[in-house]
Amino acid sequence: MGNTAGKEARPRSNTYSSTSSTLNSYDINRRNTIFGNVNDYKKSRKQEERDRQREDHYSKLIVKYDQTVDGGYLAPFGTYKSNLDFNVDIVRELIIQRKLAPFYTPLQDFDDDWTEDELLKILSQLTLHSIEIAYDDEEIDDIDDHKIHKSSNFYKRQEQKMKLKLLMEKIKSLQKDEENKFFDIKLEGKDDNLPSKDLLLKLYKNPIECPICFLYYPNNLNLSRCCLQPICTECFVQIKRLDPHPPHDQQEQSQGNELPHTLISEPSNCPYCAMNDFGVIFEKDLDIKTGISGIKPGTYHNDLIHDPTQDNINEIKDDLKNLNIESSEVFSSSPSSSPLKASPIKSPTPASQKEESLREKRRRRSSIPANSPKVITIDQIRPDWELKLASAKSKLARKSAAASAIHASNLIINPSTDLAEYDTRRRNSNSNTRFQTIEDRMIEEALRLSIIDEEERVRRQGTPQSESSNNT
Amino acid sequence: MAALPKRIIKETERLISDPVPGITAYPDEANLRAFTVTMNGPDSSPYEKGIFDLELYLPDDYPMCPPKVRFLTKIYHPNIDKLGRICLDVLKDNWSPALQIRTILLSIQALLASPNPDDPLANDVADDWKKDEPKAIEVAKEWTAKYAKAKE
Ligand SMILES: [Zn+2]
Ligand SMILES: [Zn+2]
Repeated sequence: MGNTAGKEARPRSNTYSSTSSTLNSYDINRRNTIFGNVNDYKKSRKQEERDRQREDHYSKLIVKYDQTVDGGYLAPFGTYKSNLDFNVDIVRELIIQRKLAPFYTPLQDFDDDWTEDELLKILSQLTLHSIEIAYDDEEIDDIDDHKIHKSSNFYKRQEQKMKLKLLMEKIKSLQKDEENKFFDIKLEGKDDNLPSKDLLLKLYKNPIECPICFLYYPNNLNLSRCCLQPICTECFVQIKRLDPHPPHDQQEQSQGNELPHTLISEPSNCPYCAMNDFGVIFEKDLDIKTGISGIKPGTYHNDLIHDPTQDNINEIKDDLKNLNIESSEVFSSSPSSSPLKASPIKSPTPASQKEESLREKRRRRSSIPANSPKVITIDQIRPDWELKLASAKSKLARKSAAASAIHASNLIINPSTDLAEYDTRRRNSNSNTRFQTIEDRMIEEALRLSIIDEEERVRRQGTPQSESSNNT
Repeated sequence: MAALPKRIIKETERLISDPVPGITAYPDEANLRAFTVTMNGPDSSPYEKGIFDLELYLPDDYPMCPPKVRFLTKIYHPNIDKLGRICLDVLKDNWSPALQIRTILLSIQALLASPNPDDPLANDVADDWKKDEPKAIEVAKEWTAKYAKAKE
């Protein structure tokens, strides 16, 4: 959407100069310069705003030791270095509201034979973030790469790349600062923002392996809404719609000839059972409320809780009660028809028999519909998918409109075809008429979409709608 | 090279410690994301007794993106083309990050056992298959004997 203003300014100033022949050239030039400056100014303001948003986005991916929820964090550990374009504000809010599991620091390995002291020693060595994996020097995934309207200007792109590189260096060094602070404070051992031993043991004593990243997490993860399989938040935020693409049957045959309105972007399926509209629920298997809107992590002690097992049972009883109330909205679908169902997913850690039977009970439940308020879907954390699809369609429409225009003008310039001949041919030949109709439709569609596009842009900028209608 | 994600390390270890019957997969020493694979043709299929070489590569986005797999041994199959590329839904849009190298290789082995000429990648082979299945199966057997011989 970056170049819309520039494109629109050109025809406008042309019209102006051609119709107002009474103006002297000085005036015209002056006006053009003013228009140009205004547009440059607007453009650079827009660019600044985008840079600011990007910096804000990445700075919210920094893991901070004193921003915790139930022993986890508000930003990912850094297992993945791409697909970090989820809405950070929404995800942070969902974690704080306990609607999504926090980003827990994973254990790379786990052994049942470890003593509590051995486990605590390993836990004390964990860092906040896996800086080396996430920010290594190879190509960094730019969130702008997925934007439809990239700059066509190579140098500008290079400049953007440089800016991004600098930004990533800045973020990396901020994460390092945070890491050093965390390390020093751990040595001092006085800050109540650090988890107590009891909390650490409660979290990591019986961890479960996330079936997607194979890392060990506190048994307090999200569950898929359909088949109640665990998924860590870091893997969950990786799952997203594919970028807008033509429907499959057309994909191979019609390279580059896609009709804009046929572009699609489907919601993701559950990675475990392939049910559509993937979403998760978070039911807090561990009875902990520390960090933001809870007690200080350092003050968590086991004796504060009378009987954790009893709590757990009560919680699940409540849970089942809630489920009965909701049972009308629970639909019984059959994920078993999916070929993926066969993939073996099991927790390698033996839990106590009681917990096992409770979990078993829960497992036998039917799935929870995607529109239940408990369910967080992948679209909720990337709400811009509709905008991306609309903008992909309008870009494609503009491209085909431009191609059609070139095609049409080629026919006109062609010496063997004068305009009249072209016109009659267009009217007489069946195939040409059909072609022309498609062409007209495309141009119409392109215009329609670019109007929508512009309105969208104006709406997002918060400028009054009336201004955009003046433009067109 | 960037550090290898734990998932890839664990999958590799498990593939070696608990191999899939009829399939071997070893990572290349120079690039631990690239695997050399051999696959036995399934019993009572035209590929029976053949041993097929494949290459498998785990892209940077794995497991969010599927592995890239290709037959190196020539094979006559409606869903495998001249370049060894495989037409299999789980290698494309039906990929799921919960699938693994192991499950993908099993799916490919299953594809050898049940060719699907209605969803072809190699159109000419698929046409032969639909026109005269017994003859196509004969050709597949011949190719297996010729190109996928067990190495001494
Ligand atoms: Zn995970
Ligand atoms: Zn599921």
